[in-house]
Amino acid sequence: MEEIIRVENLHKGFDTLKVLKGIDFTVKRGEIISVIGPSGSGKSTLLRCLNHLEVADKGSISFENNYIAKADATGKAIYKRNKEVIKICSNIGMVFQNFNLFPHKSVLGNIIEAPIMVKGKSKKEAVKSAENLLDKVGLKDKRDSYPYQLSGGQKQRVAIARALAMDPEIMLFDEPTSALDPELIGEVLQVIKNLAEERMTMLIVTHEMNFAREISDRIIFMDDGKIVVDGVPDDIFVNPEHPRIKTFLNKVL
Amino acid sequence: MENLANITLFILQGAVVTLKIYSITIIFSIPLGMLFAMGKLTKIPPLRWILEAYTWVFRGTPLLLQLLFVYFGLPYLGMELSREMAAYVTFVVNYAAYFTEIFRAGIQSVEKGQYEAAKALGMNFRMTMRRIIIPQAIKVILPPTGNEAVTLIKDTALASVIALAEILRNAKSMVSRNASIEGYIIAAILYLIMTFVIINIFKHIEKRFAYYQ
Ligand SMILES: Nc1ncnc2c1ncn2[C@@H]1O[C@H](COP(=O)(O)OP(=O)(O)OP(=O)(O)O)[C@@H](O)[C@H]1O
Ligand SMILES: [Mg+2]
Repeated sequence: MEEIIRVENLHKGFDTLKVLKGIDFTVKRGEIISVIGPSGSGKSTLLRCLNHLEVADKGSISFENNYIAKADATGKAIYKRNKEVIKICSNIGMVFQNFNLFPHKSVLGNIIEAPIMVKGKSKKEAVKSAENLLDKVGLKDKRDSYPYQLSGGQKQRVAIARALAMDPEIMLFDEPTSALDPELIGEVLQVIKNLAEERMTMLIVTHEMNFAREISDRIIFMDDGKIVVDGVPDDIFVNPEHPRIKTFLNKVL
Repeated sequence: MENLANITLFILQGAVVTLKIYSITIIFSIPLGMLFAMGKLTKIPPLRWILEAYTWVFRGTPLLLQLLFVYFGLPYLGMELSREMAAYVTFVVNYAAYFTEIFRAGIQSVEKGQYEAAKALGMNFRMTMRRIIIPQAIKVILPPTGNEAVTLIKDTALASVIALAEILRNAKSMVSRNASIEGYIIAAILYLIMTFVIINIFKHIEKRFAYYQ
């Protein structure tokens, strides 16, 4: 199947701290991949490198066979012009742990902003597709509410709708349920499950192990800035060969 | 009675000068402050240092001293300005320094996550500032901006030291000419009316931004 994202020899550090130490993987269209691993292993940093919220030091990142960053002879990541990078990255949707909704805009305003400003959609068109998306995430009646009037679970569902409104080729989720009260986690996971049924390509960082096991085609286990295992869920949950996975699972399950 | 009308009329002439200083200062110092605030937030070090020095000097010395310096001091350096010009320049440059700091703090009060969400949606820097960051910063910026706008009304009285015929100077000359207190009372009333109007304008604007938390 067609490749959406390819990452080669990705390195990223903050000052002296090395966070990503040579990451290689690919995402194909329609694949649902969970990224798990201990805190501080670099999961968020990896996701953030994919849509240019962090700038990689070394390696290559490509989207649909176009380089966003390409390693030069020494391995250093050389980025395309900023304008092009922004354009490519607008095809990559992202959902954050703490939602990051725009507080000064209504639910509808949050969703139609980028389609109008970035994609040049007409307001009418944008509103129509926003309403469909709100229906999909079960928040049709919250159209005119403001973010402060919503529960955490509702906010996250709006954030998902907002990302989907850009018709992304892939969705990145960074711990989408970690900031939620336990009773609100289910409604957000359900929305992601529905997307999985439509075969939306997704890369999901999560601590919800049962969820990851249930919905993923592949699971990437990261530790200390490296991918330790990249395989089907059973490789992780049924016969974890690697001792570090065992230790990790014992802690979280 | 006729005398009181004359005093009032004379001081009202001063009010025209006061309002002129006031409006020129507001019209120029707010956009300048906006521009300088952006400059302070860029990653261009020399620009940042220059603006840092500028706000430090103009917020760190008395406005009165700045007025005297520009009107009486600069001629020694071969730069002569009219009374009006000296007042306009000093007030604009001084107030722009305060607005720079207010706007900078307002923009910085918006969380990093807002920039990230906008970027993840494909918005460029201009769109992000215009549509996402500045509308949120305004909410934070409005109250201190309102304070400055009220303070400025009262600060215009400092222009009397360079013999500009604004409210206070005209009031003072009426008081000494007639040897009576009316001049000061009329001046006080005029300042109160102006500050009352400004306070209420800002109250109104702040209310319009109260639709979200
Ligand atoms: N902007 C930054 N500046 C400095 N250090 C950072 C920055 N962002 C992340 N780090 C560090 O990089 C390391 C990896 O962070 P990252 O957020 O990628 O981990 P994670 O796997 O997502 O962890 P968690 O499960 O806790 O979210 C951590 O040690 C973190 O402190
Ligand atoms: Mg993280």
